[in-house]
Order: sequence, then C-alpha cells, then structure tokens
Amino acid sequence: MILIVGGEGSGKRTFAKSLGYREEDMADGCLDDRPVIFHTERMVFQAPERAGLLYEDLLKKEVVICNEVGSGVIPMEQRERQGREAVGRLCVQLAARADAVVRMVCGIPSVIKGKLS
Amino acid sequence: MSMILLTGGSGCGKSFYAESLCLKLPMPRYYIAAMRPYGEESRQKIEKHRRMRLGKGFETVERYTDLSSLKLPARGTALLECICNLTANEMFDETGNYSDPFDPVIRGVETVLHQCGHLIVVTNDVGNDGYLYDEGTNAYIAALGRINAALARMADAVYELVCGIPIPEKGALLI
Repeated sequence: MILIVGGEGSGKRTFAKSLGYREEDMADGCLDDRPVIFHTERMVFQAPERAGLLYEDLLKKEVVICNEVGSGVIPMEQRERQGREAVGRLCVQLAARADAVVRMVCGIPSVIKGKLS
Repeated sequence: MSMILLTGGSGCGKSFYAESLCLKLPMPRYYIAAMRPYGEESRQKIEKHRRMRLGKGFETVERYTDLSSLKLPARGTALLECICNLTANEMFDETGNYSDPFDPVIRGVETVLHQCGHLIVVTNDVGNDGYLYDEGTNAYIAALGRINAALARMADAVYELVCGIPIPEKGALLI
C-alpha cells in the first residue's frame, strides 16, 4: 500500500495518476473494490470515534490518499478537534504499515518512507 | 548540551516520537507538562499521555507558566510539551487580555535547557491557517510563529513529524 498525504489541492490524485491509476480506479471517500481511495479524511470526519474500524480495509488498498488536516489553530468545535486528531492517528498507523509514504507539497512529491517501485 | 525541536499537526505522532528520543538520552527523565487541565477533554488528553509515558521512567513536572523559575533536581533529559500551551498560558490572562509571550517562553526554555543538559521541545504548527480569527488569536498565531523560529535557531536539530515519520528540517536524525 502506498499512502499519499498532503494539503487540499497539493496534487495527490495527479501524482497517483502518474503511477498509472485512472480516474475510474479511484473511490471518493467510500470503501469499494477500486484500488485507490481518496478523501479518506472525510470518512474519518463522519465518525471520528470509529476511525480505527477503517484501518484494516484501507490496508487492502493499493493507494490511500488522505488530506493533512492537523495544522493550523486548534478548532473551537470539539467535533472538528476529534476529526483532526483521528485523521492524524489513522495516518500514523497506516504509514507504519505502508510500503511507501509520499507527501505532496505544491505538487511536488517527497517519498518520506520506502521506495516507489 | 543538546536540544531538539519537534513540530507537526494534531495527531502526527510528535509525543510518541519525543518520548522515544528521550529514551536514548541520559537519565533522569523529566516530563514538563504545560497543558492546564481545563475541562473533560483536556483531562482525557492528559490521561492518555500519562498512560503512554508509563514505564518509560519519566518524572512529571506540571508547570503552566514561568519556566525561568523552575528548579529541576538534577541534570538529565527533559521533555517539554508543548510550546503552544505554554505560549497561550504566558500570553492570555483569565479575562482574555494578552501580552507578548516571546521573552517569558524563550527565557523559560533556555533555563530548562541549561539545567537539564538535554531537552526535547514539542511545538505545533498553527501558522498554516487562515486569518479570519479575532485579534487575540491572530496575535497568538504570529507570536507562536516567532517563538518557533527562535527555538529552531537555539536547537541542534528540528524535525517535522508527518504520519509519525520524522522529517529533518535542521540537523541529522538521532533515531
């Protein structure tokens, strides 16, 4: 599994396409049989307390794309704080098991764990 | 003497990595907690951090402001968590009035570093955000940015944690 993280609009899906995946290979925030999932953070925000339940299914994906949402001022809304924290924790767990972790900044990929084959 | 600054967003694995670094550095180990227990959520967070530190040989020192008057019993390694709380505590009073926290925070960190010899400092990245906040919050964002830059100048190494992975911004990786 390759984990691709980065801010909104940082080029994560464009990068996944450069690995050979097509638009129709990518599931938008839902678990199905497509090899790539994006907007993982949105699934977590729907139920932060159950984020751990997504872990095993996400490990089966070829590529998991997730927005980095933990920066900036700690939000006033408790639900938002929980969401940010849960997205962060899930990404730490996924990164620990991922074959490679790629972080996008301004459309530029940095491989911060493993190697892209 | 050595100092390492760790930054990164919520839930990025800063605390766990900070503790792992401390385990490589000389005993005794002090955990300087700057977070005021305020409300159920912060109590839960403190409890979670306590459980994570269990068995790692940390002595917890709760200190919400004025680190420059702190007296540690012996030299060793200190983990200070976190600068975002310390900055808010030094900056705002109970009525929401604020003053510049730069000097008290920086002097406090210098004091701890000189006493313990090895210091790991955890901060947060609040500047990557918008500016549609009230005046006090915007002043806080700016102050914490300046404080982080000053701490990075003092530090031998600065790492950003991303998904639990340390990315060196200054210096080499220790582990």
